[in-house]
This record gives sequence, structure tokens and C-alpha cells, in this order.
Amino acid sequence: MAEAMIRLEHLTKRFPGQDAPAVADLTLSVPAGEIVILVGPSGCGKTTTMRMINRLVEPTSGRIFLEGEDVTTVNADRLRRRIGYVIQQVGLFPHLTIFENIATVPRLLRWPQPRIRARVDELLDLVGMDPSQYRDRYPAALSGGQRQRVGVARALSADPPVMLMDEPFGAIDPITRERLQNEFLRLQSELRKTIVFVTHDIDEAIKMGDRIAILRDLSAIAQYDTPEMILSAPADGFVEDFIGSRASLKRLNLARVGDYELREWPTASTDADRPALLATLRASGMGALLLLDAAGRPRRWLHPGDLQREGAALSQVGLPVNALVQPQATLADALNEMLRSQVGVAVVVDARGVYTGTIDMGVIMAAAETMRRSAHAASLSELAASDAERSPRA
Amino acid sequence: MGLWTYLSRNWADVLLLARDHAVVVLVSVTLGAVVALSLGVATYRRPRARSVVLGVTGTMLTIPSLALYGLLVSLGLGLGWPPVVVALVLYSLLPITRNTITGLLGVDPAITESAQGMGMGRWRRLVRIELPLAWPVILAGIRIATAILVGIAALGAIVNGPGLGDLIFNGLRRLASPAGLPLALTGTVGVAVVGLLLDAVLLGLARLTAPRGVQGGVHG
Repeated sequence: MAEAMIRLEHLTKRFPGQDAPAVADLTLSVPAGEIVILVGPSGCGKTTTMRMINRLVEPTSGRIFLEGEDVTTVNADRLRRRIGYVIQQVGLFPHLTIFENIATVPRLLRWPQPRIRARVDELLDLVGMDPSQYRDRYPAALSGGQRQRVGVARALSADPPVMLMDEPFGAIDPITRERLQNEFLRLQSELRKTIVFVTHDIDEAIKMGDRIAILRDLSAIAQYDTPEMILSAPADGFVEDFIGSRASLKRLNLARVGDYELREWPTASTDADRPALLATLRASGMGALLLLDAAGRPRRWLHPGDLQREGAALSQVGLPVNALVQPQATLADALNEMLRSQVGVAVVVDARGVYTGTIDMGVIMAAAETMRRSAHAASLSELAASDAERSPRA
Repeated sequence: MGLWTYLSRNWADVLLLARDHAVVVLVSVTLGAVVALSLGVATYRRPRARSVVLGVTGTMLTIPSLALYGLLVSLGLGLGWPPVVVALVLYSLLPITRNTITGLLGVDPAITESAQGMGMGRWRRLVRIELPLAWPVILAGIRIATAILVGIAALGAIVNGPGLGDLIFNGLRRLASPAGLPLALTGTVGVAVVGLLLDAVLLGLARLTAPRGVQGGVHG
């Protein structure tokens, strides 16, 4: 495990007027550069735990270390400027422009104006929003997904080593959520921030986490491990129940489309002539051709019947391509898209939407088989290890 | 003497009285706003203090104005401007304080939480985030207070206060003579006109100062 960026030692929180503590004696280390997910049933204290890291909730007892420094009693406002904070409702300031929103912490830190301007533009680019178009808008003019992007940009503004994210994608529609999750993972692969991420959704935890802490009541850690180990070797009945019965389906959330060899599919460009395309299609033995536009982006599925029909342009016939995934998508996402597609495959595109290959049921089956075997092997070696621990005493 | 004859002979005096009327209201509502904003800011996060402040300022509004003027004079404030300004300030407190509290409590908690989470201190959060977002509601309270004060200021003539109330009281005293009615009418209509003008000014101010980017805006 890399050096701990955040260390919580024996943290306890009692709220006034409540008999039971909300968090009792929690000790947890978050390694630098990793996403650690706090997941658990509602009311388990996961949000309280996270809010103690930037001291929005002051711990009753225990200590908090950030980069090795005890920050339990330092100035809370100054501490918070070193920690990015993203919440579900985003909380953009509605009376300030996108620029002013993102510039909040740099201004608190008294950065010079040109540096702030450059940083805001850089961040808007980073989250995929054109600075010249969005800089001067107000939050009300943005969609939910765009607001959350600005929320992430705002949290990153002073380049803090640590980010806290409280169900950041919880209030967003499923399609946008998936896209934001994938974008965020792509960002994180470049930024390597240390992230504490709270969610109640085990699927999101498995997808986003390098490490997952499954919490039960009072923020007691039921298991703190990698997603692979949690799925293949749940520590106890509570974890097993929390994962749910479909562990093998969930394991598909661990594998990314980009990690597998994609299948080539016969493609066609819009200016090709039909008899040649028909011949290609027959030779390929597939049921349909994938029509790409001039930029290489998938447009239509063309079946033999569509190619024989004269008249309408190629881009007007056939079926729309609606099952698209990016390399960061999980196999579970791909499977879901596949089930929506009339052709039975998901088309893989890069960030610009350019076709790179397809993924089909065969890839999923093979991946599931491999994962099942390695999970089995992992739990066997886990068993062997715990046997070895026990045997000297036996 | 008819109304028009009266007006054509005395319009300069009437305008001076109307100006005084507007000034005494504006001065009082400004002082009242300062006090009420402080009260609202000091109490909005404490339910008990909040209800005490609203209770006390609410009681203020139930005291009949003639009684309050009399009381203030007997407390040694003398005649003329001082008792009128003090009374008007007291009457302005409830609407402005209540709207300040309502406005501040109406700010989305997610917004204040994210401000706090980014390291904005208590005071900065209040000045940069909460008050600007609550401002349209606060200003609406100021408009209500102004409308109330314009009427109450007219009664200030009873303690020799400034403004158009003078015409009304003089007119009512002389209703038997032909000079009475034009005086009373001029005073009454003048008060209404001053009220409308001040409201128009405040509405313009609301439009000018409404936080940009916030939907819902200001309604006339």
C-alpha cells in the first residue's frame, strides 16, 4: 500500500442529544492517489465520517492526519482550501458566473488574476466544457450533468491533493451518470488525486473504487479491501448481503471494455457503392455492415435488404446505432448496451466518437469465465492463508 | 376656494411638504433597515432568539401610532422630526427583520455547505453568498415597510412632524369652512402619490440590484 495520504485514528462522533455515537472508534488509512469508497446502508455514518475529514463535522475524539500532519485542530477554513469538496446537490453559487464559481478557492488563496483566469480555462477544458462558451454563464443555464462537471472543476481549482465526494453522481439520470463516472475515471487516471468517495450504491463502489470500505452501523468497517477481493471473498454475512446475490454479474463492473481485445466488424463509408458493399457483407458472413461517417463515427447498421434498396442515401436507410460504449465503460455497461442493440453487439468508440471496434457476448462470456477462475483462486489462497495462521495454534 | 385654486396658489408649499414626507420615510426606513438587518443576521440561525425578535418587533407594529407618538413625546423626544423618525424606525423593524430571516433561511443549504466546504469563513459566506441571495426577499421587506411608513408618517403631524400630514390635519379641523376640503384632499392624495413614487424607486432598485443568474427575479 502506498503512503497514507489521509489517516483517521480512533475517530468518534457523538451528536448532542443522541445516546449512540454516529461514528465509533473508526481507524482508516487512505493511500495516496487512490479512490477509496465509503459504502454502506443509509444512516451508517459514512457521510459523517467523510465530513470529519474536512471538519465540517468536528470529531468528538480521535485524530485526523493529512499528508502526515495532524490537522485535528488546525484552522478549519485553511484546511478546507487544501481539500476539494463535491456534494450531490453540487451547490454552485447561482448568483456567480461559472468563472467566479470555479475561481472561489484560488481567490481565497489570493492567486494573481492572470493565474486564476488560466486555471479556470484549463479546468473547464479538463471537464470537457468549452471555456469561451461557458465561462460567463450562470449555473441556471447549465444541465444537471454540466453543473456536476463544474462542481468537480471547482473542487479541483486550487489543485488540492485530496478530494471528498459525497454521492457526486447520485442526483443525475442514469445515462449521464454513467458518462460522468467514466469521464471522472479518465480524469483520475491523469490526476491521481487521493479521493474519498461516499455512495450507497455498491455497483458504483465496485466501478469507481480502488479500495472499498463497507461500513455497518456506527461506521464500523465490515471489510476494507479491493473490489475484487470484496466480491470474491466477502468477510462476513453482512458484506455478502450488501453485495447482493449477483456477485458474478457485479464482477462485470470490474472489467473495462478497453482491457479486452475488440472484434473487428465490417464497416462501410458513406460514399461507397452498394454492390461492392453487398459483396463485402456477404464475404464477411455477418448480418449487417456498420456505416461510418467521414470522421469515422458510427452512423447506421446496414442489412442486405437496405443495400439492395435504391434511392435513399446510405445514411438514411438501415437502423440507427444506439449501443455505443467508450473504453472506460465496464463490461456491465457494455452488456447492458448490447441488450438494447438490435444487432447484439456494442460498438466501441473513443472519446471523439470514432469507431474502434465492437464487443459481443463472446467477449463477455470469456471475461466472466476468467474472473470466476481468478476469484476462485483468490479465495482459495485466502483460505490457505487463514488456515496457515490458525494451524500453529491447532 | 376650490381644490384647483388652492393648488395653483400653494403648489410650492405642497411640494416642500411632499419632499419632507418622502425624506422622513426614507431616513427612517434606512435606519430601520440597518437595525433590522443586524437583528436578522444575528438571530436567523437560532430558533429561540429568532422568535423573540419577531415577537417583539411584531408587538411594536400593534401599538396604535397616535399612542406611540404621544408616548415618545412624553419620553422627552420633543416635537417635530425626532419622535416621528423613532416611531417610523420601530414600525419598519418587523417587515424588514422578518424578510431578512426568511431570505437567509431560504438559501439552499447545499450552497452554504459547499461554501463552507471550500473554506469560506462565516463572515465571508454571509457577505458573499447568503446576503446577496437573500437580497431580493430583504428588499421586498423594505418595500412593505416603506408603504406602511408613508401612511404612518402622515399621522406624525400630530406631534408637529414633517410632511403632508400637516395639510390633512389642518383640513380636517376646518372642514366646516370652504378651505378645509382642498387641504385634506391635497394631503391625502399627496400621501398616496409619495407612496407610489417611493415604491417605484424601490422597485427600480430591486431590478438593478437583483443577483444576476438567479431565476424568479423581482416582481412588481
